[in-house]
Amino acid sequence: MKENMNSNDAKLSALLRGSRLSPSLPPRFQENVWRRIEDAEAPVKSESWLEALVILILRPRFAFATAVLLLFAGALLGAHEGSQAVRHDAQARYVASIAPDSLR
Amino acid sequence: MNRPLLILLGALALGAAIFTGSYFVSQRTCEMCLTVHQDDLSWLRTEFHLSDAEMAHIRELHEGYLLQCADMCAKIAVKKGEVESALGNGTNITAEAQTKLNELAALRAQCQAQMLRHFVTVSQAMPPEQGQRYLAEMKKLTLGLHEQIEQSMSGETGHEHHH
Repeated sequence: MKENMNSNDAKLSALLRGSRLSPSLPPRFQENVWRRIEDAEAPVKSESWLEALVILILRPRFAFATAVLLLFAGALLGAHEGSQAVRHDAQARYVASIAPDSLR
Repeated sequence: MNRPLLILLGALALGAAIFTGSYFVSQRTCEMCLTVHQDDLSWLRTEFHLSDAEMAHIRELHEGYLLQCADMCAKIAVKKGEVESALGNGTNITAEAQTKLNELAALRAQCQAQMLRHFVTVSQAMPPEQGQRYLAEMKKLTLGLHEQIEQSMSGETGHEHHH
C-alpha cells in the first residue's frame, strides 16, 4: 500500500515539474548579473573634498558647536570693542573738560 | 551651481550672520551699560584705578581748576576781540595789532602753563606710578597734537624746523 503511494507521488512530482513553465531569461541576463556583482564588490568611490566638508557641516553636533563658537567669539569681540569705544569717549570727555580747544 | 556648494555658501552666510549679529548686539549693550552714570572724571577713576578718597580730592582740584580755566578763557576771548578790531579791514599788520597778537600768545601760554600745573597737581594726588602715567598721557594728549601738526606740515611742505 505504502509502496504504491510512493510511486504515485513520484509520478505526480514528475508531472508537476513537466507542467511548470520556465520563463525565458532576458537578453544578456548572465552578463548583467556578473556586472552587478562586480559593481557591488568594487570599492566605494571616494567623494570630493566639498562633499566631505558639506557632510561634516550638516552633522548636528558640529553645526551646533560652530554656531555657539561664532556666537561666543562675536560677543567677546563686540564687548571688547564696546569697552574700548567707551574708554576712548570717556578720555575725550575728560580732556575736553580741562583743555580748551584753543590749546589743543 | 551644484548642491554641496550651495549648502556650503549657505552655511558660511549663516555663520557670518551669527557672528556679526552677536558682535553688534554685544558692542551696543556694552556701550549702553558702561556709559550710564559717567561724568567728566569717570575716565580717571577707571583708567588709574583710584579710590573714593583719591577721587574726592581730585574732584576738588578739578573744580578749582575749572574756575581758573574759565577765567583764562574769558581773558583770551576778550584779547581775541581786541586782535580782530586791531586788524580791522586793513591789509597790513599794524604795530598795535602785533602787540595784541603777542598779548594773545602770552595769554595762551599762561593758560597752557596753568593746565600743565594742574596736571602735575592731579598726578601728585594719585599713587606715584599712576601719577606718572597720568602726567605722560596728558602731555601726550594736550601737547602731542601740536607736534603732529608741525610734523605733518613739515613733511608736506618739505620744510624743517630747526629748534
